[in-house]
Amino acid sequence: MEMIPPAPAHAGLAPGELRRRCDPEQLGFATTAELEPLDGAPGQSRAAQALEFGVGMRREGYNLFAMGPEGYGRHSLVRQRLEAQASRMAAPADWCYVFNFKAPHRPRALRLPAGGAPAFKAAMARLVEDLSAAIAAAFETDEYRNRHREIEGELSERQERAINDIGERAKTQGVALVRTPSGFGFAPMNKAQDGVMDPEEFGRLPPEDQKRYEEQVGELQKELGDLFHQMPKWRREALDKMRNLDREVTRAAVNSLIDDLIARYAALPEVQDYLAQVKEDTVEHAAAFRQAKEGEPPTLFGIPLARPEGAEAPFRRYSVNVLIEHSGTRGAPVIYDDHPNHAALVGRIEHISQMGALVTDFTLIMSGALHRANGGYLMLDAVKVLTQPYAWEALKRALRSREIDIRTLGQELGIISTVSLEPQPIPLDVKVVLVGERWLYYLLHAWDPEFAELFKVAVDFEEDMPRGAQDDELYARLIAGCVRQEKLRALDRAAVARVIEQQARDAGDAHKLSVRMQALVDLLREADYWAVTAGREVVGEQDVRRALEAQIARCDRVRERLQEHIVRGSQLIDTAGSRVAQVNGLAVLQLGDFAFGTPHRITARVRLGGGRVLDIERESELGGPIHSKGVLILSGYLSGRYVLNKPLSLSASLVFEQSYGGVEGDSASSAELYALLSALADAPVRQSLAVTGSVNQHGDIQAIGGVNEKIEGFFDLCKARGLAGSQGVLIPEANVKNLMLREDVVEAVAQGKFAVYAVRTVDEGIELLTGVPAKEIHARVETRLAEFAERARAFAVTAGKKPWRREHKK
Amino acid sequence: MASRAQEVRIRRIIACFAPARAGAPEAIAELAKEMQAELLGLFIEDAELLRFAALPFAAEVGFPSATRRPLDLSAVERALRAQASSLRQALAAALDPAAISWSLRVTRSSPASAVEAALAEGFAPSLLIPAGANPRAEYRVVRAADLGEAELRALLAAARPVVILRPGPAR
Repeated sequence: MEMIPPAPAHAGLAPGELRRRCDPEQLGFATTAELEPLDGAPGQSRAAQALEFGVGMRREGYNLFAMGPEGYGRHSLVRQRLEAQASRMAAPADWCYVFNFKAPHRPRALRLPAGGAPAFKAAMARLVEDLSAAIAAAFETDEYRNRHREIEGELSERQERAINDIGERAKTQGVALVRTPSGFGFAPMNKAQDGVMDPEEFGRLPPEDQKRYEEQVGELQKELGDLFHQMPKWRREALDKMRNLDREVTRAAVNSLIDDLIARYAALPEVQDYLAQVKEDTVEHAAAFRQAKEGEPPTLFGIPLARPEGAEAPFRRYSVNVLIEHSGTRGAPVIYDDHPNHAALVGRIEHISQMGALVTDFTLIMSGALHRANGGYLMLDAVKVLTQPYAWEALKRALRSREIDIRTLGQELGIISTVSLEPQPIPLDVKVVLVGERWLYYLLHAWDPEFAELFKVAVDFEEDMPRGAQDDELYARLIAGCVRQEKLRALDRAAVARVIEQQARDAGDAHKLSVRMQALVDLLREADYWAVTAGREVVGEQDVRRALEAQIARCDRVRERLQEHIVRGSQLIDTAGSRVAQVNGLAVLQLGDFAFGTPHRITARVRLGGGRVLDIERESELGGPIHSKGVLILSGYLSGRYVLNKPLSLSASLVFEQSYGGVEGDSASSAELYALLSALADAPVRQSLAVTGSVNQHGDIQAIGGVNEKIEGFFDLCKARGLAGSQGVLIPEANVKNLMLREDVVEAVAQGKFAVYAVRTVDEGIELLTGVPAKEIHARVETRLAEFAERARAFAVTAGKKPWRREHKK
Repeated sequence: MASRAQEVRIRRIIACFAPARAGAPEAIAELAKEMQAELLGLFIEDAELLRFAALPFAAEVGFPSATRRPLDLSAVERALRAQASSLRQALAAALDPAAISWSLRVTRSSPASAVEAALAEGFAPSLLIPAGANPRAEYRVVRAADLGEAELRALLAAARPVVILRPGPAR
């Protein structure tokens, strides 16, 4: 370790530049209870305008995709706008499914005015009751009975007369007609002609008489048989007469009842047509109305059987399945479906078990989210729709065809061949709003050709809002709105100021405020909790502070453990002294919702070679592409700055020491360059400093992310070892606007115990790190590289070849 | 009215059952229970039918099937026994639990003779239900003294229930 010259006079940033405070004294209120809650979403004017347009535009394909990260109030803002628009719209029509008398497997959809479906269902139930009574009564009348008896009598009279005629004719031939248990027979009559001849008497007859009787009996039997063959036809004629009589009687009973109902639905031709079919069907099925009570259970050998639930009941065909109804609702529906699977979207057809078989009918058709949202708006989470099998396809098909066709997945995939229902599709008029992350929007746009056709309106949510002079006050009203909505204790202005500062920190920018509503609401809830714990009526600044500390404490086990490794010497990080070719780089780790910075030792080694900077992270496949790009830029910087008229005869290697995971990003490229320059110039680097920032080929230091976490990561380590006053961090000047450092860091800087240096160029950085003027560093590097080039040339002449090139080609 | 009702209280029901007109024993039994009257069933094995079945070429034309089947005496007798047995079971099942006194006579004579013999036992008043008659149809009321064999035959052929007020003389 070499002695290092004192650092050149390069001033660190002033404490005021490290954290943009919100002055409570500037807030013109005592507590949030005095504030008018903010109406609308601050910072989301682009999204709000897109929403306004998309929601109002009732044209095909103008569905919306609200994109942005989770927790930025996408759902609430979208819902708020949809509900506002929906409240100005008329309630949509009701829909119900009824039996299709012409094609029972294709239930018929009926449209009724909003709120009309339950009334129609009740009217149909009442109609069935009335029909039962009226039809039963019509068949109890004397008129019906007499006419029925007349037909029956006519039939039996006709039959008896025909049989008697044969009997009389037989009698004239001396043959009697005898009734047997199962029919009729013919036998010779006795001498007195008043009964059947005794068998003995018959036996005494001459054989020719016996034969004659036998032949006569045979002919009469044939004649009787022919007569019996005609009787089914007579019975059929009688049955037709009875059926016509039944129809006539039923029609008389039914007409007035159903005609009344038809008249009530004069404005709805579809309903009228259905009722006309009901009329015809009741006439055809009058027997069902005359039979025993519906409630009687079926029996098997006299043992009552439990009627399976939903079993076919005679009047079920006249019931009305109200699929969707809007009685008592005002405005159009706004539906959010949290579980948008195929069935939940387009509806489903349920089955019931009946005597071991699964059966269904139109009363088991269930509505889906599209039915409920029809005539209004439907909100869905894009990722949920896309991860449910066939839900996305079903949604697109419905939007494309503008109708809801209820098909089970089995039907859709053709894997179920049993007879099922094919309900009549219902016309669809809905605006769908998908809520999802940006990457999903762009992926869909790139890979699904239908997406752009169906979702024409992108609603892009901002992640932060500008923090101008008036914006702190505006944000305070947003906080007041959240407090009121969540029914929390009011915040005093110091607490509000602390929350605003935290939101700027969350945005990672002193001049912006995060609009991540979820994090804001969580912080307010937790501060309220600590206020309650402390017995305070108003949430104070200390409650907000405690909430933030507790949030970090719950998540920072890994951070603590990493720092412990460094402090105990398991991971080598120097925070004092100086060393050649060794620089403290800074990395950010994101674990869940918590990000923190941690120092990493970056070292470089140089020697004569083929002009290649070897990235050990990349070679070991631990470096990501952006990190590799950063290292390649270093080669560009070296070859563009030094020994321009000679080959760059350098072989250098760079490594993140003790890094056991992947390294990504180019924020360490300036630190890597400083390590290289230190190695080439043999200039020791102050280990009390850490570096972050990327570098370009011209040596400009460029902005990076996570600057606050990185500074705090190194600060925490230095604080653990004892702040000596010489420690600090070099950051790109472009990142100064992002500084919203912790108060203890700012305080340490104010006390001169720590420093944050903003640098614009490699020259500024190397001077700070080495204490040597940049010019001198460059001169030393130039000399070293020239030496390398000269040695390489000499070596090539001696050996007659250029081995490093071969090495390079490998 | 009460005394009048007392006078016509039916003490016995005489129900005729014929092989060709088995009727509905349950309905008749139900009536007996309601009236708390003794039931006498007469299963009359029609002599004409038996004579017919004994003829060498006896055959039956089924109604309404029009199927021609040969008949023989033993088969007809078996069928009649089976009918009588099932009739006995039906009456027992209906009346025993209600403790109604009942009996079933199987006779091989003409229906009129069998009824006449039953009436001669002196129970009065009785309700006569001819074979195949609806037991709840409108009753005719006759005095037993007015009943000759011809009248009785006519009543049985009319197939309507008849209330017989006093037993007639034995013939």
